[in-house]
Amino acid sequence: MVGLSTLLCTLIVTFVFTAAGDGTTIPDGGPGASFPSAAELAASDGFVSGLSGAASILGVITLSFWAIAAATDFSTGLIRLLVQAEPRRLRLLAGKVLALTLCTAAVSLAATLTAIMTSGAMAAPAGIDTAAWANDGLVSAASDALMAWANTYLAMLIWGIIGLVIAVATRSSAIAIASGVGYVLVIESIVGLVAGDAAAWLPGAILTAIASGGTADVAYGAAATLGLAYALVGLAVSTVVFVRRDICD
Amino acid sequence: MIAIHTEHLTRRFAGRTAVDSLSLDLPAAGVIGLVGPNGSGKSTLIRMLLGLIRPSDGSAWVLGEPIDQQRRIANRIGALIESPAFVPALSAHANLRSLADLRGLDPGRIDEVVATVGLTGREREPVKTFSLGMKQRLGIAAALLPDPDLLILDEPTNGLDPAGIVEIRNLLRSLGTRGRTVVVSSHMLSEIEAVCDYVVIIKCGAVLFSGPIETLMARAAATIDVAPEHPADLERLGLLLADAGWRAGLAGDGCLRLTAPSHQAPAVNRVAMAGGITLGRLTATTGSLEDLFLSLTSDDPGPNPRSHSVEPTPPPHANGADSPTISQRG
Repeated sequence: MVGLSTLLCTLIVTFVFTAAGDGTTIPDGGPGASFPSAAELAASDGFVSGLSGAASILGVITLSFWAIAAATDFSTGLIRLLVQAEPRRLRLLAGKVLALTLCTAAVSLAATLTAIMTSGAMAAPAGIDTAAWANDGLVSAASDALMAWANTYLAMLIWGIIGLVIAVATRSSAIAIASGVGYVLVIESIVGLVAGDAAAWLPGAILTAIASGGTADVAYGAAATLGLAYALVGLAVSTVVFVRRDICD
Repeated sequence: MIAIHTEHLTRRFAGRTAVDSLSLDLPAAGVIGLVGPNGSGKSTLIRMLLGLIRPSDGSAWVLGEPIDQQRRIANRIGALIESPAFVPALSAHANLRSLADLRGLDPGRIDEVVATVGLTGREREPVKTFSLGMKQRLGIAAALLPDPDLLILDEPTNGLDPAGIVEIRNLLRSLGTRGRTVVVSSHMLSEIEAVCDYVVIIKCGAVLFSGPIETLMARAAATIDVAPEHPADLERLGLLLADAGWRAGLAGDGCLRLTAPSHQAPAVNRVAMAGGITLGRLTATTGSLEDLFLSLTSDDPGPNPRSHSVEPTPPPHANGADSPTISQRG
C-alpha cells in the first residue's frame, strides 16, 4: 500500500506541476479530481498543494486496502478462527480498525512526504516560482505540511471506512472495491450532472474538499464535519453488521 | 459430567430448518462422533455451539456456560471448522503466534502443539507452501493451542495420507483418554468407529441416535448365511431353523439368511446336523457402523437397528457335528 501510494502520488504531483507549468487547463473531473493552478502551486503552501490532486487516488487505494483487509477474513474463513479466539466481536473489529488506522497514518505520511519532495523536484522544471514557499518561515511551512497531511489522512480514513462498511456487508473485497470506487468515481459524477450543487455534499465530493482544505462549493469546516458524520455512520453500520450477523461459509 | 447440553436447539435459514429442536446431552471426556449425511445440520450445530451463528430457538450450554457467553469459555474450547484457514504469506509459527496473542496465551505453547501434530521443522515455512494435509495438521495445532477441555474437529483427517490418518486418530484417542472431550464430525465412518466412545447421528437437523458406540453397534443387524451341501435340502433346512426359533429368508444363491448374532452360528450348525443336513456354508456377518448409518439415514424404510430385534428364540442344542468353516466379516 505504501509503495503504490507513493508511486501514484509521485506521478500525479509530477503531472500537476507539469500541467500547471504548461498552462494546461485541467478539466473539472467531478468528485475524483481537484487540481491546483500554477498560482496556487506558487503560493506559500504550494509545496503541498499537489497532494490534493492525488487525494482521490489515495482514497481509492485506501478504500481497496480496507475492503481487502476486512473481506479477506471472510473469504478465506480466517474469521472463524479469529472469532473463536476472541468472541467479543466488537473488540475484534475495533482492533482491526485501529490497525488499519495506524497503517493509513503511515501511508498518508509517506504520501505527504513524497508529494513535498516531488513538488520540490518538479517546481523548477515546470517553471513554478517557489520563492513564496519559504516566505513565512520554517514553522509556517511545517504547519502547512502538517495540515496537508492531516487533511489527507482524514480523507483517507473516511475512504477506508467506506471500504470497511461495504466489505463487512458484502464479505467480498471485489464487490466492495467495485461498488465503492464505482460509486464515488462514476455514480457520484453522474449524480453531479443531474443534481448540480447538491452533489457537493455527497461523500466523494466531501472527501475531496477535506483533502483540499475546502473547495469553492464546500468550506473545509463543513466538509470535515460532514465527513466525520459519514465516518461515524459507517463505523456504526459496520459494527452492527459485524457483531450481529452470522458467520457462515 | 456433561460437556454439551442442548434444549430444543433450532436454527432456521430462509424457510429451511437446518437444526430442528435438537436436545442432546454429550458426556465430558472421551471422543464423540458426530455423523450425518450432507446437509444434516452438523456444521450448523457446531457453529451454534461455537457462537458463530445464533440459534433461532432453544438454548445450549457448553462446558456449563450458555453459548451466548463464549468469552467465558473461549480458551477452554479449540475447534477446526471445515477447511483450515490461515494467512498464507505468514509462517505456521507466525500464524499460531498471532492466534496465541489474540487468546492471550503463552507463546511457548506453540512449539508444543507443533510437535504434537508432527510439524516440527516446518513451522517457519510460509503456510502457502503447505500441502492440504499439512494445513490440516496446522488447523489441529491451532485448535490445540489453548490446551482446551473441549476440542471440536470437523473432518480432522481430510487431506491426510494414510500414515497421517493413523497418527491423528491416535492423537484423538489419546486426547480423549486424557480427560478431554473431543467431538469429531466426519464422513469417514470407519474413523468414527475406530476412535469414538460415543456417537450422535443426525439427519435433517434431528437426532436419530445418541449414545455409546457399543450400544449402537449392538443394534447392528448381524446375520448368518447358511447353505446346505445339497440344494435339495434348502427348504427342509429353513423349516428346521424356523422350528428352532430363527426367522430365515432366502438370500439367493441357494442360501438362507438368518438375522442373528455371530455367536449363534454353532447352534445353527447343530440344528442342521441334528436334522441330518450337512452344511456347505455357514457365514456370520457382523453389522458395521456404515450399515447402521445407511439404514438409519436412508429414506428407504429398511431395517432400523433401533427397533430391530437381534435375539431370536433360544435354539435347541445339538451335539457331535462336524463344523463347517465359519468366517466372520465386518
